[in-house]
Amino acid sequence: MKKKFQNSKTETVVYFICSLVGLLIVWQLAVSFTSLQKVMPSPFVVLGFIGQSLTQKIGGKILPLHILASLKRVFVGYFLACIIGIPLGILMGCSKTGKAIVKPIFELLRPIPGLAWIPLAILWFGIGETSKYFIICVSAIVSIILNAYAGASQVDQTLVGAARMLGAKPAQIFLYITLPASVPQIFAGLQVGLSSSWMAVIAAEMIRANEGAGWIITTGMESGNTVQILAGMISIGLVGLLLASLLRLIERGLCSWNIQGR
Amino acid sequence: MSKVEVNHLTKSFGSLKVLDDISFQVNDGDFLCIVGPTGCGKTTFLNSLVKLYDIDDGEILINGEEVDLNKHSIAYIMQEYSTMSWLTVKENIQFGMKVRKFSKEKLNRKTEEVLKMVGLEKFADYYPEQLSASMLQRVSIARAFAVEPDLLLMDEPYGQLDLELRFRLEDELIRIWQETKTTIVFITHNIEEAVYMSQRIMVLTNKPTKVKEDFVNPLPLPRNVTEEKFIEMRNKVTNLIKWW
Repeated sequence: MKKKFQNSKTETVVYFICSLVGLLIVWQLAVSFTSLQKVMPSPFVVLGFIGQSLTQKIGGKILPLHILASLKRVFVGYFLACIIGIPLGILMGCSKTGKAIVKPIFELLRPIPGLAWIPLAILWFGIGETSKYFIICVSAIVSIILNAYAGASQVDQTLVGAARMLGAKPAQIFLYITLPASVPQIFAGLQVGLSSSWMAVIAAEMIRANEGAGWIITTGMESGNTVQILAGMISIGLVGLLLASLLRLIERGLCSWNIQGR
Repeated sequence: MSKVEVNHLTKSFGSLKVLDDISFQVNDGDFLCIVGPTGCGKTTFLNSLVKLYDIDDGEILINGEEVDLNKHSIAYIMQEYSTMSWLTVKENIQFGMKVRKFSKEKLNRKTEEVLKMVGLEKFADYYPEQLSASMLQRVSIARAFAVEPDLLLMDEPYGQLDLELRFRLEDELIRIWQETKTTIVFITHNIEEAVYMSQRIMVLTNKPTKVKEDFVNPLPLPRNVTEEKFIEMRNKVTNLIKWW
């Protein structure tokens, strides 16, 4: 069983590398043999630019520092979304009163995209860092609340009944049944929330910033520098991928019992 | 030990009356098997007894008091799998003992005892996702026995098990009952199983469910399914259950 698991892990890595190499080949062929070359640089030019930016400054900073600036914004906004969203979602899922109070407000706010909050964020918090954290937080929080709510409300009532029969009190049922049963769903929300945070950071850095991956893309657009735009996009993609993988690792540690989490 | 009194129990789901004015007693140390046609409301009765369902009318008393799950020591083995998928087999079995604050020494001893009883010693550290349907049910059975309940409710617990294991667990249940005199209410649609194990048999009618017959099973233990008297008793129950 263990051998099979290791094989499938190796297989996943091989497929991952193949798909990336395949993408680069298709990109290169498209640029070499079609009119795409007028608007799109070769992948090797972009990768070369990324390599160069590790030591040479774009604007005032080297690429890793720009990424760090975006990462900090994402972490603050995302962390806020987690500490507000997970308890709210669980409250809605566990308590009828909690659901009756929170859900109508949540349903009203849910369809509003995170980016629609930009004007209000500027008016409320100015053009500093706080407005960026706010936009990232409201962008990530919806999926986090929704999934925590789904996890807590869909707990198998047979298990709750069995725990009650065995003498568990409401607090124990919450701690030992509701919470662990909700964890996979909560992590699904955290994954979607993380992607939303990265989408939002670009928009947030458009407000006014002099650093960050979004800033690299925006200034690239203003100066017509396609290579810089693509370098910013690829950097975001790579860091996003790393963070999602890290989150999956944590999930595997916490949900080793769950086949999907393994 | 627990004495159960059911007085005028009535339960409906919408316009469908499932239990209709049921009254009976289960005395201290009784081993009562409840049999009846499929879908007659046997599970609804047990669920009402442990307050998983609110009843419409009547009362259920344990030792003369209203059912209190924190006060009365009840274990319920459900028809559905009720293992917690985030806990290993061992942790599932220990769940009830931990919430009832068993000492560490007793917890470990009981865990080993019940694991052996259901034949899952080698699977103690497995997660439910890694087990078969019959093994999952054995975990629930082990968990229920581990807490040494005064009242043991079992809802067709052996239906999913293979014959050999079923026979073994039937004998094991009889042994535990003889040793501990735990009050047992065992629901089954397997007439042979009911006649083989019970001290008392209650036959229910089809919906709306009433008690059709409630009688003592006079066959001495251990019973032999091929004996004439056993077959006579089995036929008697079969005739009572026929509702068509």
